[in-house]
Amino acid sequence: MSFLDSLFDQAGETAGRFLEADVRLGVTGLRRAGKTVFTTAVVDNLLRAGRLPFLDVVASGRFQAARLRPQPDADVPRFAFEEHLATITAAQPDWPEPTTGISQLRLAIRYRPNSALRRTLQSVATVNLDIVDYPGEWLLDLPMLRQSFAEWSALSLELAARSPRDALSVDWRGWLSAIDPAGPDEEEEARRGAALYTEYLHACRRAESFLSIIQPGRFVEPGDLKDAPLLTFCPLPGERRGRGTLWALMESRYEAYKSSVVRRFFAEHFARLNRQVVLIDVLGALNAGVSGLGDMKRALEMSLEPFRHGSSGWLDWLFGSKIDRVLFAATKADHIASSQHPNLKGILDSLVAEARRTIRFEGAQVETMALASLKCTETVVTEHEGRTLRCIQGVPVGRDRPTVLYPGEIPDGADAMTVARNRSYRFMPFRPPADAGRDGRGLPHVRLDQALQFLLGDYLE
Amino acid sequence: MEWIPPMELDPARAVPAPRVPEPAPPPPPFEAEPDAAMPEAEFIPPVAGPAPRSPLLRWLVGAVALLILVAVGFDTADLMNRAFATSMALGVVVALVAGVAGITTIALLLRELRSLKRLRRIEELRGESRKLSHTMELGRADRFAGALTRLYTDRPDLELDLARLKDVVTDAHDDAEVVRLIDREVLTGLDRRAYQTVLRASRDTALATALSPAALLDIAVVLWRNLRLVREIATLYGARPGYVGSLRLLRRMLGNIAVAGVTESAHHVAVDALGGSLAAAISTRVGQGVINGLLTARIGLAAMHTCRPVPFTPDTRPSLGRIRAELLSLPKQVL
Repeated sequence: MSFLDSLFDQAGETAGRFLEADVRLGVTGLRRAGKTVFTTAVVDNLLRAGRLPFLDVVASGRFQAARLRPQPDADVPRFAFEEHLATITAAQPDWPEPTTGISQLRLAIRYRPNSALRRTLQSVATVNLDIVDYPGEWLLDLPMLRQSFAEWSALSLELAARSPRDALSVDWRGWLSAIDPAGPDEEEEARRGAALYTEYLHACRRAESFLSIIQPGRFVEPGDLKDAPLLTFCPLPGERRGRGTLWALMESRYEAYKSSVVRRFFAEHFARLNRQVVLIDVLGALNAGVSGLGDMKRALEMSLEPFRHGSSGWLDWLFGSKIDRVLFAATKADHIASSQHPNLKGILDSLVAEARRTIRFEGAQVETMALASLKCTETVVTEHEGRTLRCIQGVPVGRDRPTVLYPGEIPDGADAMTVARNRSYRFMPFRPPADAGRDGRGLPHVRLDQALQFLLGDYLE
Repeated sequence: MEWIPPMELDPARAVPAPRVPEPAPPPPPFEAEPDAAMPEAEFIPPVAGPAPRSPLLRWLVGAVALLILVAVGFDTADLMNRAFATSMALGVVVALVAGVAGITTIALLLRELRSLKRLRRIEELRGESRKLSHTMELGRADRFAGALTRLYTDRPDLELDLARLKDVVTDAHDDAEVVRLIDREVLTGLDRRAYQTVLRASRDTALATALSPAALLDIAVVLWRNLRLVREIATLYGARPGYVGSLRLLRRMLGNIAVAGVTESAHHVAVDALGGSLAAAISTRVGQGVINGLLTARIGLAAMHTCRPVPFTPDTRPSLGRIRAELLSLPKQVL
């Protein structure tokens, strides 16, 4: 009898293991959008589950527990969750170092299924959540897969000649006008061009105008590819040239970059993702003014390109992404008063509007949200010259005392571009709150739970 | 709006933005707006208030009531006089009894009035919450949450839920989110309990009808049970109606029940009828029991719809499904 019982137990356990679901969540963001803090906050909040009223599985009491587990891919660096959390919750709280490159973390979530049928199969279900954090520039590389060197060069050159990039790319374009693409393939010349182009990309990244399109991404985040010939090319003007020319050299390196960097990333990581969240620092772009917003809009459209792969051709079908939910999140929503959140979401909506329709057409769900991974400020009300203003209160970076800041009203959605032209904003960076996470309920946040519900809710039914 | 340049202000003068729950200021009067402005998000057509009666009828009722009051007054005075004439002690006793009767009548009336007011309050809350769920603005939900918290202040069974609500709501939530949080944190538990109450009541009526020997008796039982059910549910949601209140609720719900069909599709109604006739073939009485049970269930669910301070969403709407399954297994249990 006991033998049979244990046999049944065994069978049930095996079945349970088969019923474990794996979900891969890609976290990426354009330039300092707060990927690290987002991932840290998500993991901490799922581990403690004390601040997730909008996550159905928690709200309905079906959530049991979550814990960290060894990650499945041994060749990907682990996301240093503990260190980042320690930095945020230290006695002198600070922001974690921005990460470069890809990292991964696995979180196992145990819960009781909602449907009676599944409950009879297994009383407790497990979802393995793999969070894959990678730079947004890598996402921007993906459209290169469909472009030839000539096409890519034309687009990049056109972009570089436009304001405000024209000022940043003066040196590189000067070099371009001096050389002959049909000349001999001198390694020295190629290195010089690539160095100038990389400098220009770095300048874009640093620039006050908050530019988002950085392509190819590995030029600024080379990782272990530093100084490899793969990264020594740059866009060249003109038609395709014959063998042995500089043009041919650059083209072959471009193709090599595509196949061994971009396609590898696509096949090994991106194509395996189920869900994707793209973090965007809309406030940073607003701070920089209208050129930042315009560049961000183009970058977003480019980043959406890979999601269209799904249904166009057998090769894409083979490698195509299976991402079925994409969330665009405007981060750092705590830098403005809560009454402004709808306007922030409105701006984001208008930035992704066009691309969103296309993705929807391909069958994936798209959502936008204004959120804050770590809530650093409180909304307060104060009087100024007889008017009631909703402001935010927090400790700015580099100061010890809290201040009350009125950052300016954000325009709503549609007319953001025109209105932003003649207004100046002042969104200050704030320090993490001193008592973050002390109450054991997880880091305080704004709408992180709604983001999780959209991204993972159906897996936790 | 004119552009105010960004600036830093004095932290000493800032006040925290209002949050839930407020320290109970006098409840601001909710403007009871007609539902005409609402989009078709609601599933039950908003309950119409009692139909305006003709002024003639009102005069008639008033006059008759006054007459009866005067007659009763005269009779009581007469009675007291006679009692005093017989003996002093008897007179005092009668006067005391009359006094007690008068005072309790007044107290009862006051209680009814108060309960009617609570009912109206819930209706106003419903209207308000429906409006709030469609805005992304801020500030008004605090008032709403405050009003709701006040409605449930003396409820020990909800203390935990309200405490959790207070924990969960932050200054970053907009109005629609606050209303959704109230719905999830406080009202979902109440829904579950109300559903159990409905289930119990419908089983009771079904059994009583099936087992009662006389037709008249089961009409009485069903009526009494339904009235009690409505009161129970209303009490659960914080309305605590008196007798007049529950009669009013019941009447409004009966007016609604045809439309509501508790929002089930025609398909389900057909299933009800079919199930009913199948059971009826087995036994007329049991069949009647099932039908009466279903009627009670419908009344109960309609009561839930009417008394809930925040209207149901498509996801949280209670369904007749489980009750129906339970009732249709009744013939098996009885036979």
